[in-house]
Amino acid sequence: MNLIEVKNLSIQFGGLTAVDNVSFAIKPNEIFGLIGPNGAGKTTVFNMLSGFYQADHGEIIFNGNTITDLKPHTINRLGIARTFQNIRLFKGLSVVENVIVALQQREKHTWLDSLLETKKFYQTEKILFEHSIALLKIFELDRYKNHLANALPYGAQRKLEIVRALATQPKLLMLDEPAAGMNHSEKAELNDLVRFIKNKFQLTILIIEHDMKVIMNICDRIVVLHRGQKIAEGVPLDIKASPPVIEAYLGKRIT
Amino acid sequence: MIRMIQISRWTQALIFLIGFLILGIALHFFLNSYIHAILISFMINAIMALSLNFITGLADQFSLGHAGLMAVGAYTSALLSKELLSDHWFFIPLTVLAAGLVTSFVGYLVSLPSFKLKGDYLAIVTLGMAEIVRVLILNWNSVGGPRGYNAIIKFPNFLLSYSFSVFVLVVTFVVLFRLKKSWYGRNLWALNEDDIAAEVMGLDLVQSKRNAFIISSFFAGIGGGVYAHHLGYISPGSFSFLISVQILIMAVLGGLGSMSGSVIAAFILTILPEVLRSLPTGSVDVRMIVYPIILILMMILRPQGLLGRMELLEFLRSKNWIRS
Ligand SMILES: Nc1ncnc2c1ncn2[C@@H]1O[C@H](COP(=O)(O)OP(=O)(O)OP(=O)(O)O)[C@@H](O)[C@H]1O
Ligand SMILES: [Mg+2]
Repeated sequence: MNLIEVKNLSIQFGGLTAVDNVSFAIKPNEIFGLIGPNGAGKTTVFNMLSGFYQADHGEIIFNGNTITDLKPHTINRLGIARTFQNIRLFKGLSVVENVIVALQQREKHTWLDSLLETKKFYQTEKILFEHSIALLKIFELDRYKNHLANALPYGAQRKLEIVRALATQPKLLMLDEPAAGMNHSEKAELNDLVRFIKNKFQLTILIIEHDMKVIMNICDRIVVLHRGQKIAEGVPLDIKASPPVIEAYLGKRIT
Repeated sequence: MIRMIQISRWTQALIFLIGFLILGIALHFFLNSYIHAILISFMINAIMALSLNFITGLADQFSLGHAGLMAVGAYTSALLSKELLSDHWFFIPLTVLAAGLVTSFVGYLVSLPSFKLKGDYLAIVTLGMAEIVRVLILNWNSVGGPRGYNAIIKFPNFLLSYSFSVFVLVVTFVVLFRLKKSWYGRNLWALNEDDIAAEVMGLDLVQSKRNAFIISSFFAGIGGGVYAHHLGYISPGSFSFLISVQILIMAVLGGLGSMSGSVIAAFILTILPEVLRSLPTGSVDVRMIVYPIILILMMILRPQGLLGRMELLEFLRSKNWIRS
């Protein structure tokens, strides 16, 4: 059984076909790479999977449900979380509040409890807070808990976005260039973290990344896009040696 | 620096109530009816500013038709007490509550087309709603049409009408303040900061904004009801576009997102025109000069409003003027 299945997905912007008849399937507990040169259509695939863009053709089946036309919040509730290539934190909220916002969508609250400040209100707030801190600890972000999100260093902001996505308790976590802007040691640390959270939370991970070291190191399988089309699919070693992939990245050899 | 004493909430509430009652009795005997009227106007303005601040400050959705909602509340309450209930002041709280409910239903109708797309559509729809309400009232003869609706039942004395207004204002403030501090307020902040990220967290944008506008409409209707029974006379002109703008100015001056800021701003902007009116300037209306100057200065010096998005105590603490 596949966790997610993408069938013949296409979308056009004006005359440009950004994603052209792309299909792939991801098994549970896989780390699946989505790579390709700039403008290949990777982020556009994420936007369709998470409900922000409506595909012109094709179908997305997640965990047995067709989610092609669903809204982003419904898709998230079914178990897909994502991060963004250009970080999207709640900038004016504190680090811990960023995580609480994600967590509280799954908590049962009543209006009356908050209105009357009942014991239950404080209990729920306390549980949310402690749960957030526990998640932040995994990424060593708990020491920043009261900082505003936009006051964090760049690498920490990327990590906070992952924590926030995790807090929605997803089955599939989609990371859009999580290593962008990170230095060498941060990238190495990220590799370990991705593997760690995958095992700890029983996740399936779909990752877009330009850094080949990161991709080749952690992915079980990879799909390569080029100008909206799928040009290769396979395990890292095969992808590395695939002539169409080399050509897409380096251009045609001059003979 | 002042040190705050820790006392329980109920004690605070009790002290507050007793204080207000004593103040009310004192005002009743020592001040003239002109000041009485200004005081109640302030409270009505504060209710309206709070209501608008909830949708505009927290949910980041501009409403340009709050006067329209106020009109719905005012006419509902006036009509109900005159036509249905025996026109006794005893029923005013009841008809005002009904006015809130009816207005929140109007708010629901307005919200249907407003949040389908992202963007400032609410501003346009509320603008249209206020105009429709105005034209409807103008052409509705049994509520006086353009001549206005007369002889609406009032409270028999200042003390009663003062107590009622205080009660409504306090309830409005506490409810909206608590909602701001609850999970729901946090949701509104989050979607205000980044609606796309909020959606990815599983937050239903349309539903959240819609609820916020319905709540806001409820209190706007209540404010309208209090207004009708305070003046005893309402007309379509009492709820013009200028009134919507005035309410918006109060919310912005106090600080979008700051509930206590709205109350302070309503106080300042209710008192200020009266103070300016009393200046000996002959035939020149200085209000028309001073009022805009104050607003322009405000935009230059404190564009985020008096308190920004903080509440009064948080603001004082952040300035180290009081210790927590
Ligand atoms: N909303 C949109 N409107 C118009 N064109 C778009 C839109 N979104 C994406 N595109 C276009 O689709 C193509 C694919 O963009 P996409 O962002 O998916 O690329 P990418 O593979 O993520 O590239 P990068 O590695 O630079 O992030 C680009 O040509 C882009 O300009
Ligand atoms: Mg991209």
